[in-house]
Amino acid sequence: MRKTAAKLLAVAALATSLATVAAGTSVADPASLPNSQDIVGVGSDTTQAVLNQLSTDYNATLTDPNAPHLYSWDAIPTGTITTKSGATPITRPNGSGAGITALNGNTSATVDFARSSRARQATDPATDDFIALAKDAVTWSAVNGGHAPAKLSAAQLNAIYACTTTNWTQIDPTLPSATIHPILPQAASGTRSFFLGAIGNPTLGSCVVTGPQENEGVDPLLLNDVDAVFPYSVAHYLGQTVGGHSTPADSVGNLTLRNIYVSPTLTLVPVTNNVITTNFANSSFGRVVYNVVRDAEWTATDAHGTALRAIFGPDGWICNDAVANADLKSYGFLPTPACGTAY
Amino acid sequence: MSRISARLVAAGAAAVLSLTALSGAAAADTAPVTATGNAVINESNTFLQSAAGNGVVIIPLPQATPSYDSTTGFSASFPVAGASVNLAGYYGNVQLGGSLLFIDFATGKSVTFKQIAFSADDWRVTGVPAGGTTPVPLLKPAGVVRTTKSGTTQTLSASDLKVDANGAQFLDTQLNTTFFTSGQSVGSLSLTVVNG
Repeated sequence: MRKTAAKLLAVAALATSLATVAAGTSVADPASLPNSQDIVGVGSDTTQAVLNQLSTDYNATLTDPNAPHLYSWDAIPTGTITTKSGATPITRPNGSGAGITALNGNTSATVDFARSSRARQATDPATDDFIALAKDAVTWSAVNGGHAPAKLSAAQLNAIYACTTTNWTQIDPTLPSATIHPILPQAASGTRSFFLGAIGNPTLGSCVVTGPQENEGVDPLLLNDVDAVFPYSVAHYLGQTVGGHSTPADSVGNLTLRNIYVSPTLTLVPVTNNVITTNFANSSFGRVVYNVVRDAEWTATDAHGTALRAIFGPDGWICNDAVANADLKSYGFLPTPACGTAY
Repeated sequence: MSRISARLVAAGAAAVLSLTALSGAAAADTAPVTATGNAVINESNTFLQSAAGNGVVIIPLPQATPSYDSTTGFSASFPVAGASVNLAGYYGNVQLGGSLLFIDFATGKSVTFKQIAFSADDWRVTGVPAGGTTPVPLLKPAGVVRTTKSGTTQTLSASDLKVDANGAQFLDTQLNTTFFTSGQSVGSLSLTVVNG
């Protein structure tokens, strides 16, 4: 039964994978060096693809070549990048945490915003504003047809990542007797940070393997591991499958999203009708994704502040334009009327 | 002249407020969970003067508390009557005590909204028109909008507050006016919710 459910989800995803395509073709890193006045971001893997699309579509609206354009640098590959004209070369930030660190370690001459799939943490400077982009959720995933059940509770996931539950039979005696492989994305991943918080911040056990790029089920550690458990952005999954925004590297592989058991009468299902389920998004597994900016620049009345708000603000392009709204949906995110709110 | 207009509006509001307090006709009729705090809706002097010039007056009714400042304009403080909300997660609802009376003296029409609330799902200040059951989205936080959370206290502040498109259409229809428009700047919003 559990295998059937997982297969149905995979089939549904494949069947609709070509149904929805965003307006233009997004690009990865900027095709040419952005100008110094352009608005340039780094950071999260989860939102890099949608930011690429939003950049393409926002820039298409501009008629003045000297107007601040929007650009976004991907989280990978590793190496040094020069983000815009006159910028200080930096190590390419991979993930929300690394992006926020780059934002705070540089000026707007190098980084204007950090993509973040996690909310503000106590260690983040009060001088940063987390500007809401859209809603997402994170659930766990497993290989289609593998040993994992269709649902796990937060407590069971906590025990798996604490390595106190190590065999599927500890979850359910009817499951195959096989060792569970809890896997996490790299340490600066916002999805990793959020997921661990959602399951109660377990003390990670020695059985946990860290390594794959987040939201990429084609990593060799995940592709055919029938015992793997791996957190996954629901929006990114929908973008890859339903939205058709998948590349050979940025792909779900054989992973399917799994449910969160809450009680005998409530199991949270991450996706309904190819959209993040509302009660899943409004649970502890739901999250808001952000673009992080410097508060002094966000509230400034100069051209830079005006440009930031014109793109990310409540009255800005992303929060109000129909094309931007379609982009967010195409990449699996839930647009929110609170878009542009600072946290 | 503009200051006088604003003062007249404030004075009118106070007068109507007294009458309504006596009648006790404007109590919220929701059954909220325990929470305290307040929502302060500010109407800027610019909006007040524009509204007054068009014969439109907006009057907060009990348990809302009005105040006026010559610099910042007219404010109405609505007590939080209950809340099940995650402001930073953008879902849930905050029920507010008090009502809002909109009058157009030019047309002689009026409409009262009860069950004033802040819907975090819709990110709007809403109200249920008297005699109705469905909330109407009235005002949308705009400008620099900020949420915070510290312990059991959640806040929302907005440097601007704009008229919702559906709200504008509803008000114009009810008041038989064309004064309200989508995106019209009203003032600002400050909301504090303390869960009990």
